[in-house]
Parts: sequence; structure tokens; C-alpha cells
Amino acid sequence: MDKNVLPPKPKKSAFKKIKIIIITLAVIGIYVWTFLGIDINWARAIERVVNNFGNIVPKLFSPDWSAAGEVGEMILETIFIAFAGTLMASILAVPLGFLAAKNVTNNYIGTLGKWLLSANRSFPELILAILFIVAVGPNAFAGVLAIAIHSTGMLGKLYAEVIESIDMDIVEAMEASGANKVQILFFGVIPQVIPEFLSYAIYRFEIDIRASSVLGIVGAGGIGTMIIFASMNRNWNEMGLILLAIIVVVTIIDMISSRIRRKLV
Amino acid sequence: MIEFKNVGLVYPNGTEGLKNVNVKIEDGEFVVIVGLSGAGKSTFIRSINRLVTPTSGELLVDEENILTHKGKNLRALRTKVGMIFQNYNLVRRSNVLKNVLAGRLGHVGTFRSILNLYPKEDVALAYDNLKRVNIADKLYNRADELSGGQQQRVSIARVLTQQPKYILADEPVASLDPPTSHQVMTYLRKINKTDKITTIVNLHFIDMAMEYADRIIGMRAGEVVFDGPVSEVTDATFEEIYGRTIREDDLRGGADQ
Repeated sequence: MDKNVLPPKPKKSAFKKIKIIIITLAVIGIYVWTFLGIDINWARAIERVVNNFGNIVPKLFSPDWSAAGEVGEMILETIFIAFAGTLMASILAVPLGFLAAKNVTNNYIGTLGKWLLSANRSFPELILAILFIVAVGPNAFAGVLAIAIHSTGMLGKLYAEVIESIDMDIVEAMEASGANKVQILFFGVIPQVIPEFLSYAIYRFEIDIRASSVLGIVGAGGIGTMIIFASMNRNWNEMGLILLAIIVVVTIIDMISSRIRRKLV
Repeated sequence: MIEFKNVGLVYPNGTEGLKNVNVKIEDGEFVVIVGLSGAGKSTFIRSINRLVTPTSGELLVDEENILTHKGKNLRALRTKVGMIFQNYNLVRRSNVLKNVLAGRLGHVGTFRSILNLYPKEDVALAYDNLKRVNIADKLYNRADELSGGQQQRVSIARVLTQQPKYILADEPVASLDPPTSHQVMTYLRKINKTDKITTIVNLHFIDMAMEYADRIIGMRAGEVVFDGPVSEVTDATFEEIYGRTIREDDLRGGADQ
């Protein structure tokens, strides 16, 4: 019997125990302090929410079908913005990905490349959209550029990680057969990474559909423009239709995308 | 002809891969290197095509010291010296033909190869070599659809398509079952005899070494401790190379199949 009993767990030192208690207390303290600091009139907030809900929610659920034509057109523009932006990004990210992959370049250039890609990614789409509206005017092209630049950062980093995870034995085999660097790239590296590159690009398209539906809020084209006008005019029936359209499109594209990606890898 | 003259290799972490190795391999020989894992077999073989670089001595391939080769010279050497690996090292997502044609990369210009514009003779050569190892029917299959033995045969076809003067095989059968191992060794042996390609194989199975080699080189701790024709090798020789008595798992078995 004794053999089946696990040996006792090593005892935690008193110092560790105290540390855990202090951290727990500190976290609780921060939460309490934060919630006490919120200046909110709960009774009034609840009252307003209840009123507006009664007012707005039923309208959201009875969409204004007369706007269907315009909504359809704008949702199509949203998809186009996302597609063009993702396409640009998925191509731009290839050289950047190779640059940032440590097994292709070296440790220093690789780290520098990843650093640049992260910096690039840290601008939210909306900020980029505002910048590009200044540059190219308030139209869909500004949205495309915003999406493209933001996505390049993420795709470049993912591409670099894919390249770093390839089977280097194949590269060694090609080196051993006298192939030069360019040949190794085309015959040993690219066939290994293409399916995953595609898969990530499609996944990014999924994300960009969602991103491009809000770009219109700052005037960079797409369905977002309609959202901002509908809410300013308190036209909740139209808003209902817009939201419905976004939900349907995003769901369909997510489904298609995940099906394609399952086939690819 | 390959000649090791006082070759030594110390890895950056201080391990001695090769110690004062002096070996001469004549053209057309079929040499098997035996030894326990870590004895320096791989280091020995990989020195010849400079996948590793010895730190002292001279290594002559066709009377040329290859230890100083760089860039173009190094690629020319590697085009002349083909290699077969334990894990086949095929591009799993590419088809068999494309994998075999990769053997031509050292011969074909960069631009042509990238655009897949191999000369007709090269494609014919690749197909012939697939027929030689009896796997021509898998021409358009993806490499990852093949079994281990089939993949190793494809990698033999790849190395043949390279038309090398020397073939190095680093534990080519370690991942295969006994019957398949014998099949692969038989192909290597046949190629050595008909094409007169000098072949150097790493093995740790004693019975296979005895069955296929002309000459056996035994290594222990980076040193060559035995070098002679198969006829001079006895069980005692292996016990000396391995530094212990011979065990069941030093044998592959299945020679009759």
C-alpha cells in the first residue's frame, strides 16, 4: 500500500506564503479603490438604460428594409476595402517576414525586423485611417491603406515565425547538393511556408472585415459611415439593418475562411 | 580519392568530434563507418562535404584541400559529393519529381531552376533514376504520401540525379524496418558497383556493415580505431570498436528477407 502513496509535496517556505498573501491583498485593494473612485449615480444610470432600452431595442429588431439597397452597397464596399487592404498587406509582409526571420537573416537583423513590425502594428487602424484621410482624402482608398499598413505588421511577424519553424534539415540537404542561397529559398523554404502564409492571410482577411466596418466612422469608406449617420439621426431602424448586415457578412466570411484554412494546412 | 591528413575537429563547446584522423579512401570503394552514437561517424562524413568544418589538418578531395573552400568552390565540391540522410530530408509538400530534380540545383543556373525550366535531359535523368530505385509510379505523388522506405528511395534517386562522384550516407537506414533497410542498402551497393561511385555509409548495425561493406572503419571517441577490409573483421574487432561486448540491438537482422 505504502508504495502507491505519493511522496509529500515540498513545503512552501514562509517567505513564499507571505508573498502570495501580500500580492492577493494588493490586487483586492486596487479593485476596491478603483470601484470607489468611479463617480456614478447608479440609480440614474439604471433608469436611463431601462428607458432607452424600451425605446431603442425594439427598433433595432425591426430593421428598416427600405435602406437595404444602400446598406448592401456599403457592405460590399466594406468587403472590398478589407480585401484590397489584406491583399496589399499579404504581399508587403513577405519580404518583411523573411527579413525578420532569424534563420534567414541573422539574430540582429531578425530582431530589428521584428521590432519594426511590432512598431508598425502598434498604430490602431482608426488612427492610420485618420492620417490617410489627410493624405488621400475621405474615401475608401484611405481605408484600404489603413488596413494594409496595420495588417502588414501582424502578417509580417506571423510569416517570420512560420519561416523560423521550417524544417532546416531540408535546407541542409539542399546545401549539401550544391544549391545556392536563392535556389534553397525557392526549393527548400517557399514550398514549406506557402500554405501557412495563405492561411494567415485569409485569417487576417477575417479580422480586416471587422476592422473595415468601423473605418467609416472617421470617414474612410465602408458601412461605418452609415453607422455614424444612423446614430446621429437616431434612426434605430436603419441601425438595426446595418448591424444585421454586418453580423451576417462577418459570420459567413468566418465560416468560409475557417473551412479554407482547414484544407490548407 | 578522399584523404584525411591529421584531421581534427573541436566543436565550439569544447567537444572533440575528430582526433587526428588519417584515412585514405580510393575511388570506387564502398566504405562503412561503424561506431556507437557520439563516436564521430557523422562528423567524419559531414567533414567531407563541409557541413561541418574540421579545425586542424588537411582534407583532400581529388587532391584539393577542401577545408579552405568558400562560396563557389564549396558549392562545386558539394555538387560533386552527394548526400543521403537518416530522415530523407525531402520537401514533404512537393511532389516526387520536383524533389528528385532538386538534385540538379548545383548544375542548373539559378534563373532556370527557379522558373522550373530544367533541360529535357535533366527531367529524363530524374525519371530514369526513379525507375532504377523502382519508384517511378509515384512520380507525381507528394513526398509526404510515401512510406519511409519509399522516401529513402526517392532521396537515393535525388542523389543519383546529382551525378556525384561520391555519395555520403549518414545513417540511411536508422529510421527503417529490417527488410526495408536491406532493400535500401542493396540499392546503394548496386549503385556503387555499376556507377563506380565511391560510397561512404554510417551504420551502427554490425551485421549490415559486414554484409554490404568492402572496407570497415571503426570509430570511438573521435578516433579511428580500426580500418581494414571486411575479411579481416571479426566479432572481437567490433568489441574493440564498441569498447564492450556485442549485444542483440547492435544487429539489424532480417538478412534473409
